[in-house]
Amino acid sequence: MTAPTIQVCRTCGGGAPIDVHFCPQCTKILTLGRQGDYFAFLDMPRKLNLDVGELEQRFRALSRRFHPDYFYNAPLAERRASLERSSYLNDAYRTLRQPVARIEYLLELEGMAAGSAERSGAAPQGGAVPPALLEEVFALNEELDEVRALREAGAPESAWKGRLQRARQPIDAKRAEHEEHLEELSAKWDALVDSHGSDGDRLAVLTALHQRMLERNYINNLLAGIERELAT
Amino acid sequence: MSKVVGIDLGTTNSLVAYVKEGEPVVIRDKSGDGLVPSVVSASAEGTIYVGREAQRRLLTDAGRTVYSVKRFMGKGVGDVHGEAQFFPFKVTGEHDGVVRIGLGDREFTPPEISAFILRELKHRAEAFFKEQGELDFEVERAVITVPAYFNDAQRTATRDAGRIAGLEVLRIINEPTAASLAYGLDRKHTGVIAVYDFGGGTFDISILRVEDGVFQVLATNGDTHLGGDDIDRLLVERVLADPALASSGFRRTAEGLQEIRKAVIRAKLDLSDREEAEIVIADSAGPKTRATTWERVAQGPSGVAQDLPRVAQDFSVPGVAQDLPRVAQDFSVPGVAQDLPGVAQDFSPAYRKRITRSEFETLIRPVVDRTLAPCRDALADAGLQPSQVDEVVLVGGSTRIPLVHRLVGELFDRTPHSELNPDEVVALGAAVQADNLVTGNREMLLLDVTPLSLGIETMGGVTSKIILRNSTIPATGSEMFTTAVDSQTAVDIHVLQGERELVPDNRSLARFKLRGIPPMPAGMPRVQVRFQIDANGILSVTASELRTSIEQTIEVKPSYGLTDEEVERMLVESFEHAEADFAARLLIDARNEAESVIMHTEKSLRAPGFGEIAKADLAPDEQPRIEQALAGLKALLPAPDREAIQQATHVLNDATRHLAEVMMNRSVHAALAGKNVDQIG
Repeated sequence: MTAPTIQVCRTCGGGAPIDVHFCPQCTKILTLGRQGDYFAFLDMPRKLNLDVGELEQRFRALSRRFHPDYFYNAPLAERRASLERSSYLNDAYRTLRQPVARIEYLLELEGMAAGSAERSGAAPQGGAVPPALLEEVFALNEELDEVRALREAGAPESAWKGRLQRARQPIDAKRAEHEEHLEELSAKWDALVDSHGSDGDRLAVLTALHQRMLERNYINNLLAGIERELAT
Repeated sequence: MSKVVGIDLGTTNSLVAYVKEGEPVVIRDKSGDGLVPSVVSASAEGTIYVGREAQRRLLTDAGRTVYSVKRFMGKGVGDVHGEAQFFPFKVTGEHDGVVRIGLGDREFTPPEISAFILRELKHRAEAFFKEQGELDFEVERAVITVPAYFNDAQRTATRDAGRIAGLEVLRIINEPTAASLAYGLDRKHTGVIAVYDFGGGTFDISILRVEDGVFQVLATNGDTHLGGDDIDRLLVERVLADPALASSGFRRTAEGLQEIRKAVIRAKLDLSDREEAEIVIADSAGPKTRATTWERVAQGPSGVAQDLPRVAQDFSVPGVAQDLPRVAQDFSVPGVAQDLPGVAQDFSPAYRKRITRSEFETLIRPVVDRTLAPCRDALADAGLQPSQVDEVVLVGGSTRIPLVHRLVGELFDRTPHSELNPDEVVALGAAVQADNLVTGNREMLLLDVTPLSLGIETMGGVTSKIILRNSTIPATGSEMFTTAVDSQTAVDIHVLQGERELVPDNRSLARFKLRGIPPMPAGMPRVQVRFQIDANGILSVTASELRTSIEQTIEVKPSYGLTDEEVERMLVESFEHAEADFAARLLIDARNEAESVIMHTEKSLRAPGFGEIAKADLAPDEQPRIEQALAGLKALLPAPDREAIQQATHVLNDATRHLAEVMMNRSVHAALAGKNVDQIG
């Protein structure tokens, strides 16, 4: 994987390092290529425990350099570059600000897309139950079936709402457990980044993160399903 | 360089402001009034009136007068079905098409009606700059504000209105954000600000963090169908339900309803600083009689006509009350009532009802309560507790209502700011932003968000979100599509805006077909649809097939908007109309002048002793010449030929010049010879 390290300035034709925003020769804003990533764009390490204060500060500083407001009278090419860079900056900021979105982005960047958790909606449909959740999912489904039967038989809300609440407790516990796992793995990843760890170690952590994220999405969908049952 | 301005295009009132030596200032008319009522009216001759004059015509010609047009911006007929009946003007349009509003004998889209208001503001600003002695007085560029919660169709409609009015729209910015800019001129501000903007027709809440001069919106929420209008409607309904009204002989005409609306608005304004107010409705036999009187007066000598706006100093505008001396709002202003028989003379209200502030508050509480949930939602989206908000700023005329002030104070547990005039603060902020854009001033930067999620329709009628609400703009997002059957060469794409899961619950923004996909087995093509929201909050969509890198230029037909060609056509038409309107206005002026000369001439001819004067001082053919010129002018008066009328007026003027001198001399002599010498000079 050899990413390009040089880009060409559309204004003066000079070369510029890939991660700079303005041409070192003519100082004009550079067109945004398809290369690069959010971390590099913000000049931040590819870590999962980011200093959010630092992120905010960089976001504001770069906004002040790119924003279309400042290119109102500039030539079209620069206006377009400003729109592209501002959009990319905003997308980067939005993604890296949230810990979960940050993990998903890192996985995607490292070639292990987890499937977006933002995709809300449909409950898990036929998708394989992650092995770590088999026990909980089995118990929950049993409980849900009974609750539905009670409701269909015309039982009062008081008879099944409590059961539903109790049924979600193990799932909630599982979710809390997962949050902890994610934090541990994040710390491990960051340590590997600092120590320039081996590819094998990195892959092991990424794989574990990937698995936890899949489970996490599954848990969230289960909880959303319970919420829907409670709401109806 | 032409001038740049900031425009607050409001539901009830609109304003224009500019930056003078670093300070934003509202541009006012000669009487110091900065508000232009967002009302447009067409006379029977086709003349278009905007602002105060148009508002006055609500009472005489409600069916030809349009107000609150902002509520119709970016809407389809189906959207306004339930609401259109409350308005005296005609709301039509094709099924699934953009709304059309009847204005006199013509039909216009909401952006065209809004363009009339924008053009009026443009004229006002240009007249002002001209008067300031500026050689470069033309106004061609503007920042226009919209409610933060406006969707893409509503924003686009606003931008179209600007273009139709002949303005280059530098930027569309959100009203609460603009207000924060006006408040935050002092750059030392750092912290979290909540802007509560409750206007005539819309409600917005925006939560911002201000740091290092960057005004970053964290979250926004609102209701584009909630405002002072709703409060007025509750009051009107209450009056209509009152048996006392029926027994007063009130007739439910469009004008009559406007009479009630005006009366309740006045009571509402009164209740902002009094414990009790009266809803007073003028003689209900009035509207029709009044209308005729009005027209006669309006077309009479210009001197009288010019007094009219003063009488109509209007009550239906939140905020005006504070700017004008109370007396000016009263029908019983001395000197005015006498001048205008039928308008106010012998004023004996047919309906009169006291209302206390607590009754008022009970009535409107549900409306005000509807603003609180969006506030809580915005806080939750920003990840903040009410106690983490450092300052609360009130914007919009409806925040003058004490109940609103109190409930907002309770929600955030702090006293809200209302130092700046809540009617003007948005226009001031827009002017600051306009100035920043053209001067390249980097002191402050606005970072706004998109209020609603954007997505596309996927299998099963579900909305798949591509850009989430409260994303900082500009922003991008993309989604991959593929084909469902072998050799499929086109994909339908349906763009939606909203938070709901199912397609019909969200706003349809556009539908388009991506064509030219090379024939491949089902599931093979990789079609990337890319959304770009620009700094105006307006969306553009591009699509490309990644395997073949075929970039498709896609024509997006807005579901409830105007195409570029339609906007262009309207711009051209507006110039034509503007000329027609201008011509109609000139014709009326010519008629007014002619009528004035006719009246004076007839008065002289009828004067006692005219026979004597004619014999003593006039040439033998002078009287027949005058009578001939008089008859000639009177015959021409009804025809719509301005030049002929002016010509004939000229002839009559010439014919009577000598007579006028004679009459003048005689009256001076008479006065000097009389007893009133001390009164001369």
